[in-house]
Amino acid sequence: MRITTKVLNIAGAAAILLPLQSCDGIFSGLYDETPAEVTRTVEGQLYLDASDWGKWHYLDLEAVADSIRSNPGYNPSSAWETMDIPTSVSATTDADGLSGLYTYWYDVFGEGISRYEFRSFDPTSPQPEPEKWSIAIHRNNIRTNHGSIAATSCRDIDRLPTSVDFLESLIFEEDIWSETDVWVNQDRMLMGLIGNQGIKINRTGSGWLRIDIPPMPPSFTLDNSVFIVKLNDGTYAALQLEDYQNAAGVKCCLTINYRYPLSFQ
Amino acid sequence: MKGYLVSCFCAVGALMWCVPSALAGIESTDSCTDLDGSLDEIVVTAVRTPKLLKDVPVQTILITAKDVARTDATNIEELLQQEMPGIEFSYAMNQQVHMNFGGFGGQGVLFLVNGERLAGETMDDVDFNRLDMSNVDRIEIVRGASSAIYGSNAVGGVINIITKDALRPWDIKLNARIGKHREQRYSLTLSNRYKIVSNVLSATLYGIDNYNVESGPEPATRVFTTVYGNKTWNFNDEFTVRPADNVRLTARGGYFRRQLTRTYDTPERYHDYTASVRGEWNLDTSNSLSLSYAFDQYDKSDFHRLSGLDIRSYSNVQNSVRALYIHSFNGGDILTAGADYTHDYLMNTKLDGRTRKQYGADAFLQYDRNINDRMEAVGVIRYDYISDGHVSRVTPKISFRYTPAGQLNLRLSYGMGFRAPTLKEKYYDFDMAGIWIVKGNAHLKPESSHNLNISADYSKRNYNLTVTTYYNKVNDKITTGLPYYLPGDDSQLYLDYVNLDGYSIMGADVTIQGRWNCGVTAKLAYSYNHEFTARDKSGNRANNQYMPTRPHSLVARADWTHDFSKKYSLTVGINGRFLSTVSNKEYKDYYDIDAGTIDVRYPAYTIWRLSCSQQIYDRVKLTLAIDNIFNYKPDYYYLNAPLTDGISFLAGVSVELN
Repeated sequence: MRITTKVLNIAGAAAILLPLQSCDGIFSGLYDETPAEVTRTVEGQLYLDASDWGKWHYLDLEAVADSIRSNPGYNPSSAWETMDIPTSVSATTDADGLSGLYTYWYDVFGEGISRYEFRSFDPTSPQPEPEKWSIAIHRNNIRTNHGSIAATSCRDIDRLPTSVDFLESLIFEEDIWSETDVWVNQDRMLMGLIGNQGIKINRTGSGWLRIDIPPMPPSFTLDNSVFIVKLNDGTYAALQLEDYQNAAGVKCCLTINYRYPLSFQ
Repeated sequence: MKGYLVSCFCAVGALMWCVPSALAGIESTDSCTDLDGSLDEIVVTAVRTPKLLKDVPVQTILITAKDVARTDATNIEELLQQEMPGIEFSYAMNQQVHMNFGGFGGQGVLFLVNGERLAGETMDDVDFNRLDMSNVDRIEIVRGASSAIYGSNAVGGVINIITKDALRPWDIKLNARIGKHREQRYSLTLSNRYKIVSNVLSATLYGIDNYNVESGPEPATRVFTTVYGNKTWNFNDEFTVRPADNVRLTARGGYFRRQLTRTYDTPERYHDYTASVRGEWNLDTSNSLSLSYAFDQYDKSDFHRLSGLDIRSYSNVQNSVRALYIHSFNGGDILTAGADYTHDYLMNTKLDGRTRKQYGADAFLQYDRNINDRMEAVGVIRYDYISDGHVSRVTPKISFRYTPAGQLNLRLSYGMGFRAPTLKEKYYDFDMAGIWIVKGNAHLKPESSHNLNISADYSKRNYNLTVTTYYNKVNDKITTGLPYYLPGDDSQLYLDYVNLDGYSIMGADVTIQGRWNCGVTAKLAYSYNHEFTARDKSGNRANNQYMPTRPHSLVARADWTHDFSKKYSLTVGINGRFLSTVSNKEYKDYYDIDAGTIDVRYPAYTIWRLSCSQQIYDRVKLTLAIDNIFNYKPDYYYLNAPLTDGISFLAGVSVELN
């Protein structure tokens, strides 16, 4: 017992005296440093900071493929083209007069965002777009240029089945009109009022990152399944969301695995 | 609801007053006026010199190790909710726990562990999970301003947690408890003493899962839908050497870690590292000196599961050096002089400039005049200097005790309190999800207060009655103001920290306790608090970021213990708390105060626990408890609703070897 006692006493004293005290703290080595933003080129991977509520980011997959063919070191993440969401009230809207900001009240602090009520509409000019694009991303939302998206149960983009049977088993869904998903203006969010862009989005594809309220702050749920995008020229691409945060924890900074074009036999 | 509230009160009331009648035939053999020996406990918090609880001139609430064991609490939050009325733990925004202690929030109540301050805060409160109850000797609570003794933050009160020393050659305590939502607690305390050295090592692992709760339709204000669980690891060690009869050297170290999973991919982690050394010398029979150094570092990080990175976003580091000299005069008077130096470092990714530092230095002088056997007066004055903003403060406190009869103590105290603005409140720059930018204010004035406390306690035979009344006038309270747009730019809202206009809080506590020879003990404690509406400097109703203070609250308990033999005893106990309804005027539209206010009514509730513990051979204790025995479920889970989804069962076992 004496030996045990002595050992315990010495261990206790050593444990206490071990830390080297500092005015700015100790054990900083236990934590990881925030890495610099990703600028590296990773084959088959796209990086996009889509955290800005007021922007759509466009990508032309065919142009990316051409650039990589001519320059194998090409960084596909440099191909994103960003365009602001119009927020100023404008008399010039799209042909249907639907483009604009739709303010909805969401039951943010009650049942959650699945319950909402329309409050107001402010017409704006239509969403500007590049001349040629395949997909566009706004935070968790994705839309296609007259294409469609299908979800798969595959979670390894490198082992995606290549048979025509597999392709035919998929259910492709086109973009549909939304007034409640593309959150643009959160200035009055504490009152549950959120301004949304009225625009077509692809709900299947947007399921890769689900945002739920409650809880508050919102929870993010990543679905790392591979999604197949059918482009308007009949070609196919595969997209898989690998991560939705950057190293500093900023949400909607997306790391996307992709393959284009896909061939099915 | 009302029906069973009434039933509960009737039950406890009946127990409190009818049991003695029922037991009239049993002659009390105990004429002692001290119910559980606590009046002869030594306390140190109120005047920083050791005094018997019954003699201390400032009303001190003592929670003993026995009370802690009886409540089976895991942390200070669980304990105080069961033991004290007038204290409520609710959610702040972001569902962080916020304490309201008689109208004062986390920044207005100073938490100490063995006399040392705690680093770190979230939404103004210390991390209550750090304050593990596995090795607590006692908790001393002093209500009212004590800045003259403890400096900044001791505006509404001081809560000092004092840990146990090793008293036996060796002692091993093991404890395990399981409950609903996969709640699990395992603790080990290993203490040993050999000649001049002793050591106490304690470790607690605790975990409870997240669980969902459901509110009714159309809530009047914000509700929560998930109660977030925690996984905590808490290790502490205390090593003591007594190289001579008059010298005691103590070193302490600790590590704490908590993980909360709000979003699966990014669990939040909280870490704390503590270390301290203290030397106490009794120079002679009249003079003693204490020197200490304490280090406390509280960090927050987010673990990114997908990338495997653990990124730190917050670190608060406090280094403190303290000196305390006590001189006892022949007539019983005591002179106490002390000085402290604290270095405060804050790293926060939401801070303008990312890191900030400041230091604080102070000196105080206290004279304890023992006028005669029945009267005692204590006066203390303190000067504080805080480097950031060059804040200087002089705070006095005077206290008076009069004992007209052996069983009656009257106490009166007046003190000033102050709270220097924190580095966060001065330099915060946080974009809250685009809703608004919370901005620090480098021009904040220190918050100050005047506090008057009057109390009386009377003990007769097996009963004890304590009545305390208090009044606090608070000036320049620091909080966030109303949101605003910059002139000419309505694209971004701002929310600044501001000083409010003066406001006041008043209240009263009544506690009655009884003990009977049949093994029954009971306690009923009631608290009334009235918080006058705080307004900003423009006369607008202040935007209170926390839940309002409930005017009425009550805790009650009754225990029956019977020793069936030397080897076996049984304790059955019931305890509960009642918190009254509270109405609060809240802005209809935070962005447009001209739209007026609405009355939001937060309902009353009561929660009761029934427990049964069996003590076997003084070594093994088996405990079974039913929490929330009336299966209370809030209709709406507002931020101050109790964290319960109905009745739950707890089972625990403790083993002690020595």
